[in-house]
Amino acid sequence: MEAANYQTDEEQLIEGLKAANEADFQMAVRLYTPGMMAVARFYLDHGAAEDMVQDCWLAVVNAIHSFEGRSGLKTWLHRIVANRAKNYLRKHQREVSTDFSESLDPDLARRFAPNGRWATPPSLRSNESAEALMENGALSDCLDKHLSHLPEAQRSALMLYEAHQHKSDDVCNILDVSASNLRVLLHRARQKIFLMVETFQETGEC
Amino acid sequence: MLMCRDLARIASDYIDGELGPMDTVSVKLHLLMCGHCRTFIGSLRTSLELMRGHSSHQLDEDFARRIDEQISQALIARDDEQD
Repeated sequence: MEAANYQTDEEQLIEGLKAANEADFQMAVRLYTPGMMAVARFYLDHGAAEDMVQDCWLAVVNAIHSFEGRSGLKTWLHRIVANRAKNYLRKHQREVSTDFSESLDPDLARRFAPNGRWATPPSLRSNESAEALMENGALSDCLDKHLSHLPEAQRSALMLYEAHQHKSDDVCNILDVSASNLRVLLHRARQKIFLMVETFQETGEC
Repeated sequence: MLMCRDLARIASDYIDGELGPMDTVSVKLHLLMCGHCRTFIGSLRTSLELMRGHSSHQLDEDFARRIDEQISQALIARDDEQD
């Protein structure tokens, strides 16, 4: 979708939400809930995250009139979830703890010799396009499985940055992490996906 | 001198254009000489494109319907309050 079209579509959707059009709410739920869940899962377990996202949608019903469009609708919704999740953790005196100390995934780190060169070099066929790879349904299922097994912090960062195309600054605000820690989360998650695709291409197994 | 392991540590920063000019030059020089690292960077890029094309449609439809239902009730309650 072209950026201009997307903007027009979003403006129309916002008008529909402000006019309390149920069909527009249903469309917005399907467009934005995956990203809202990615934000919530950074802070909360799955059940609590679903409850939080449902509560946020109810809040949106009453708050959409105050949406002025200074940020995009997606960013506004993601910030609502993040703020509520942070308040929830504060009330329950809990913190998100994540290891940001090493940017290299242990499974990849093992593939280097002591001199820093590849001992087990990458074997992926990099000339195979992502589009061609996506046509393989088994690979798509495998990707689902591995995404669901990523540590929550890594998955949320990856989803917001790659799948929902947020800018780094936005992801840092929403997830309350520094720019350098976001880089670690993204890189760790990407290495996991790289390793998964490599194994799949080599063995045909997930 | 940049080794393959060092490059693997900063590969995402290179792909996203987040490295400083000196580090970017070091990576580019290394890539000129190292086929394995070129494969690694190329494959990492492909993995990212795969992610971008993949994950936007993951939503449990039952969960979406539960939200629809709650929104529907909230809209009715809001209308009642306004009347």
